[in-house]
Amino acid sequence: MSISLSRPRALAFSLPAIIAILPFMGACFYIFRFSISAEKGVIDGYSIQAYIDLMTPFFGRSVWLTLKLAFVATVIAMMLAVPLAFLLTSLKSPLARRCLTVTILLPLILNLLVQAYGWILLLGPSGVLNSTLKALGIIERPIFLLFNETGVLLGLIQTSLPLAVFPIVSSVRGLSQEHLEAASSLGASHWRTFVDVTVPLLRPGLVGAASIVFAFNASAFAIPLLLGGRRVQMMGVAIRDMISPLFNWSGAAAAGMILITLTLIVLVFSSWLVRVTSEKVRG
Amino acid sequence: MRVGLLPTEGKSTYRFMVLFLATIGILISSLPVIVVTIMSFSGSDNTGFPPPELSLRWYWDVVAMFTQEDANSAQSVVDSTVTSLLVAFIVMVISTMVCIPLAYALARGDRRIREGMELLFTLPLVFPLVILGIAFLLIAESLRLDIGIWRIVIPHVALVLPFVLRNCIGAMNGISVETEEAAISLGASPLRAIWDVVIPLMRAGILAGLIFALIISFNEFTITFFMYTIDVSTLPIWMYSRTVSSLDPSTLALSVFIIVADIVLIVLVDKLIAGRANLF
Amino acid sequence: MMKKAETHPKKWWATIMEEPNMTKNLSRRHLLATSAGLATTLAMPSLVRAQPLAGKELRLLTWSDNTGLAILDHIAKPFEERTGARVIADRTGSTSEMVAKLRAAGDRPQYDVITLAGVGAVELAGDGLLAQPDLNMLPNLADVDPRFRTGADGHGIGYLLWTGGLIYNTKTFQEPPTSYAQMWDEAHKNRLFLPPSTWTDALDTIFATGKMIGGDGTNSAEAFAKLAELRNNILTFGENPAQLSELFRSDALDIGGVYAPAFYAAELNDPANSNMGATYDVDEGFFADLMYTITPKAKPGDDEVVHAFIDFTLDAEVQGIMAEAVLNGPVNQKAVMSDAAKASPFIIKPEQMGDKAIVHDKSFIAEVREDWINQYNQTLS
Repeated sequence: MSISLSRPRALAFSLPAIIAILPFMGACFYIFRFSISAEKGVIDGYSIQAYIDLMTPFFGRSVWLTLKLAFVATVIAMMLAVPLAFLLTSLKSPLARRCLTVTILLPLILNLLVQAYGWILLLGPSGVLNSTLKALGIIERPIFLLFNETGVLLGLIQTSLPLAVFPIVSSVRGLSQEHLEAASSLGASHWRTFVDVTVPLLRPGLVGAASIVFAFNASAFAIPLLLGGRRVQMMGVAIRDMISPLFNWSGAAAAGMILITLTLIVLVFSSWLVRVTSEKVRG
Repeated sequence: MRVGLLPTEGKSTYRFMVLFLATIGILISSLPVIVVTIMSFSGSDNTGFPPPELSLRWYWDVVAMFTQEDANSAQSVVDSTVTSLLVAFIVMVISTMVCIPLAYALARGDRRIREGMELLFTLPLVFPLVILGIAFLLIAESLRLDIGIWRIVIPHVALVLPFVLRNCIGAMNGISVETEEAAISLGASPLRAIWDVVIPLMRAGILAGLIFALIISFNEFTITFFMYTIDVSTLPIWMYSRTVSSLDPSTLALSVFIIVADIVLIVLVDKLIAGRANLF
Repeated sequence: MMKKAETHPKKWWATIMEEPNMTKNLSRRHLLATSAGLATTLAMPSLVRAQPLAGKELRLLTWSDNTGLAILDHIAKPFEERTGARVIADRTGSTSEMVAKLRAAGDRPQYDVITLAGVGAVELAGDGLLAQPDLNMLPNLADVDPRFRTGADGHGIGYLLWTGGLIYNTKTFQEPPTSYAQMWDEAHKNRLFLPPSTWTDALDTIFATGKMIGGDGTNSAEAFAKLAELRNNILTFGENPAQLSELFRSDALDIGGVYAPAFYAAELNDPANSNMGATYDVDEGFFADLMYTITPKAKPGDDEVVHAFIDFTLDAEVQGIMAEAVLNGPVNQKAVMSDAAKASPFIIKPEQMGDKAIVHDKSFIAEVREDWINQYNQTLS
């Protein structure tokens, strides 16, 4: 690489961003300090009591549920996001492109409460889907798609789709035509091109998008509350409950630290895994 | 038009799968919105879907809400909207301006540092917003300074950085070193090469980042809920203080209003930045 | 100390646009002043004191839903008309954010008066952030049921009672159910709702179950065992009242409790469309949790206005109107209720606050609260 960024220049380029994220780092540190506070409502003294109090089987179940749901939601979201990205980049008319962009962004715009209401109208026990199926005689009792893990999964996928699609789109735009043309001229079928050429080329973008989606889903609390009927105890919900009405802020901070650590572990591990497998392929 | 990504003709299973999955994605994103929009035109007070009659009455209610002044309340809608727009604008500018150089530095730099930094800048997504809200609030109050609109801007910037950075890095991934080298070999200084060649090539990613920043900041509620004050408040907060019941059809009408406002803003940004160039 | 409300926020665009609020306020004050002037020229001696608190301001933080709106209509506005003070209401409160904001603000709170649920008051009092109102400046307290006068160690003044009972589907039940035991009926499998663990109503439910199985309500171990039977029967926890309303309307829910009919003032008046009914007439009794008005120590406003306002919330007429409007129970024993209100089964009258009303012992609840919430979560989620 003949363009290498000199150290001072790299630092200069990075500095503004680092300054921008400093307040957040401050907040992180504050949260950490809170988690080792001896008091529940204010920062005072040092103690790891908050962490110890969390070590219950119930919390363990909550952790597992969070990781599981976040993972499944991420996988499905990626499976939907890639085709969407392909579609978006293949559309010819700018109007169609803009419409699709806006459609994909809708979940970020609309108030979550209202979206949950929409889902209830559609998928609720007396919603459109169940009523139609009943009328057609296909089912007797309603299918419960909401107020359980399915409902939460649906909500997680919906809200993380936009986060996944656009980074992939950026990567797709960067795909070099030559690679794809070469593959097809060599007679590779669409699937082969996809698996052997497109995916490896997109890999960094895919991993990046998946990381964002996973992190986002792991911390979700509004969706399990609204679409899970509160029966799905993800960690975000537990944290929110500790903030109020339990007013156990140090416990909430401790749970937050655990959540962040777990997410980081998953992210680091998955990027390592991807790197190792892709090296094997290339090597 | 890219060859191979989405074939335009032929009956291959590949094409079918791509279109099928994409359609599911579109449905998931849009169905609740469609349902809610239809319900907002419902003529009666309290019925299910689909509504038996259509009317615009809820929209008139919303218009009345906007134009009616409420001397009792702390903030007017005009104040809140202006603040929202101002905050969104500042957030957009700051986040893009810090992420472009960072993305460049990371793309051309050491792989391990890049991964570490990407991880660092994904962190804001990991904390539940409620905890961040309290943390930011406690810090802001302990500063004992009246920092005005920055109370809201600073947390918003932190929230938005992961998306903007991710999009800029994605854009950088597609710009090969050769392009830059070509520019330099033609006589440009490295900085000029970046300014004249790399950044325009990044345009699509930058634009995506800007739009994300706009939408997230404009619609952000949870952290803003903790940070707002009598003098500095945003549109989502104002809306929350006005909704009598959370699912009145007038709330639905208000939400549709907001969607339209967002779309207008997105199109504005798109036109300004991308001009006639392709967005994606 | 410069009060924030007195400095006009610096708006760069204000030079371009006229500030709508200011004009209206000026004309409003002008109107009040002229009407006060007119009244005095009509030589009515009692009105000479018509605007005793003119020019003063009160910052109020209260809830965002129709309870908050009712406060504006029935308390804030009449208060302004009576005293000439100006009430600036922030209607975005919910107890958790209120506590967070007050804690964070420390000695520079933004609000003078806050209405909130008991737990929040206790928490903030424990933090030492609240002032103890001077009970001598609150003459209406004499009419208030002694159980509901003050709380949180004298830091909170009783405001209204959040009452909870059974909510049922009018299509399923021709007659209102008479016991919480109805919830265990298998006919309601997957058509049942319970309150979320974090609400006081959940504690009420545990208590009710305890009473139902023959104890006095504190027999929580047995109560939890009984509640566990419901685990697979629950459709949802009522985190969002509007969602529940939609589920009732679409005939997907039959029954649930302990929950507050106060959320459903509109629906309960229209059972034909909403399918919703509520009852307090339950064998085991209904629940009444006291809500408070509190005032922070370093509040920006002054004592006279604050006490006048709090006293006004306890006024017999105001209490009657509020009880009717938001379906909360009045604390003033002499609350004035209209005939329609007296006839309604959803509006608690002062006379009802006798035997059937279960009011928790505050210290007991404070002790078991956290434990019960956690157990509730674990048993039912």
